[in-house]
Amino acid sequence: MRRSTWLLALPLLCAFPSALTAQTIQNATLRRAQQAFDNLDYRQALSIGQASLRERLTGFERARAYELLGFTYSGLDSILKAVDAFKQVVLIEPERDLDPNRTSPKALSAFQVALTQILVVRQLRVDSVNFIGGQGAVGIRYTVTQPSRVVMRVTGGAMGSMRIDSTVANGQVNIRWPARLPSGDPVPAGNYNVVVEATVGQNSFSASQPIRITHGAVDTLPHLTSLPGYTYLPETEVPPKSWRPMGLALVYSGIALAGTSALSHGNLGSASMREGGMIGGGIVLAGFVMTLKKPAPQPARGNILYNSLLREQIARRNTEIAQENTRRRQQVALSVVPLPRVGR
Amino acid sequence: MRTERRNVGRTVGLIAVATVLLSVIPSFRLSAQHFNVGPQIAFGDYREVSSDLHYRGTGLGVKATLMWKKLSADIALSKVKYKPTSDTTRVDFDASEVDVRLRYYVTGPVSAELGFLHRTMDPEFEAQSVGAVTVGARMAYVLGPGVRMSLNGGLLFGSKFSGGGTTSALGALQLGLGLTVDALHGRVLVTGDYDFQRFSRTTDDGSGALPAPIQQSLGRVGFAIAF
Repeated sequence: MRRSTWLLALPLLCAFPSALTAQTIQNATLRRAQQAFDNLDYRQALSIGQASLRERLTGFERARAYELLGFTYSGLDSILKAVDAFKQVVLIEPERDLDPNRTSPKALSAFQVALTQILVVRQLRVDSVNFIGGQGAVGIRYTVTQPSRVVMRVTGGAMGSMRIDSTVANGQVNIRWPARLPSGDPVPAGNYNVVVEATVGQNSFSASQPIRITHGAVDTLPHLTSLPGYTYLPETEVPPKSWRPMGLALVYSGIALAGTSALSHGNLGSASMREGGMIGGGIVLAGFVMTLKKPAPQPARGNILYNSLLREQIARRNTEIAQENTRRRQQVALSVVPLPRVGR
Repeated sequence: MRTERRNVGRTVGLIAVATVLLSVIPSFRLSAQHFNVGPQIAFGDYREVSSDLHYRGTGLGVKATLMWKKLSADIALSKVKYKPTSDTTRVDFDASEVDVRLRYYVTGPVSAELGFLHRTMDPEFEAQSVGAVTVGARMAYVLGPGVRMSLNGGLLFGSKFSGGGTTSALGALQLGLGLTVDALHGRVLVTGDYDFQRFSRTTDDGSGALPAPIQQSLGRVGFAIAF
């Protein structure tokens, strides 16, 4: 028995240090009860702990006193009494949780049973989030310990109270709140409270989380002057130097002069080449000069088509960006930040 | 014939005046078409019947070109004073020629040509005046920026001679060469043209057909103002 008590006490001691180390316990009786528990004298711890509850205690001290009783009853295998003690702990500190790695299974199961026997809303959390009004939502989570009608409201600011959810729930509940008024407009900037109220018959419990909502302008997109990875290509290209002009000039002139000679009438003697020679010579000279000259840039059809498509694509994208910016200028960027709770 | 010579001279004069007028109004533009006109120096070689009747001469000319879509037209007027090359007993004569050609672009470098030729001589009986319809083709090629050359050839149908005579269907031919070079940003063109004509003319004085061929090589060099 002695050994088993030790084995049970070790994890209890491990679980208890948060309460023991964060010592703000001023009540001497409660301290004596803790001392007795530390010494594994559960009978003594039980009697002194119950005595401390009859004295004036702070809320924290009262929660620690009931917790001490819960652990002691668990150690003494009085589960029902342990459950009752833990119920008092949860009612005083709804957010109180036991570390499953450092708490004995008996105490842990007693604590879980206690949670199911009372109605509390615990672990109300509001995500810190930024989004464009109408295109996002705020994540809200809470845990309700009993099946109950849960109503979630947002209160404060200029809008008074606005119901954002009403459901019958048990356990963890996840809500996505778009932060919009019934009219569809975004909730005005300001400080608000997210209040969760659970009701079962005559019992009710509520928890709240303050939040701050701020408004900002939505970033607009810059217009494009180019598409990443795509650059304009030169619309003209200089063809390589060629002897083609000279060759063609020689061919044309040769045909003309040979034709003159061939077509000349035999009775009239040899044909005069003076006139054809002068013009043909001029053409050959022009062909020679054009051959030496740097060729004129020629339109590059492929590049022109490519640039045209690129310009068209950029223009289309800029049109879309302009439309998007027009839409964004009418939007509001909402920032929702949970604030620290006061009075806890 | 004297009336014809007067008409040709008047036409040359009118075109010259028009050229000067258009030259001094540089802002004048023919919309949706290209037009150029300018004077030329002509030099030619003329032979008739035999190698003894051989003349050479120089003169003036005017050439105008109009281009519109696939159509274009050349009008070349020239007046060349021919002198005999050897026989000093022969006298000089003036050859006034009107050469009109309409052209239609067909494909690639090829255009089809249709026109007429009319050449009058003064004095009237020193050489044969001639008129004919020209049908042929022209090939043009751009040698480089602003430099174009052309080669044309064709047949001369329906030839009429002042001294009579006929030619067979393929007996009258013409061959030509052309060059234009843009200058002053295309406002002025340097032009050069060569035309060779041969008429295998035959005459019959009752003793049978006698060959009396006519052949002319004409070169023209000048400039033109583009509008």
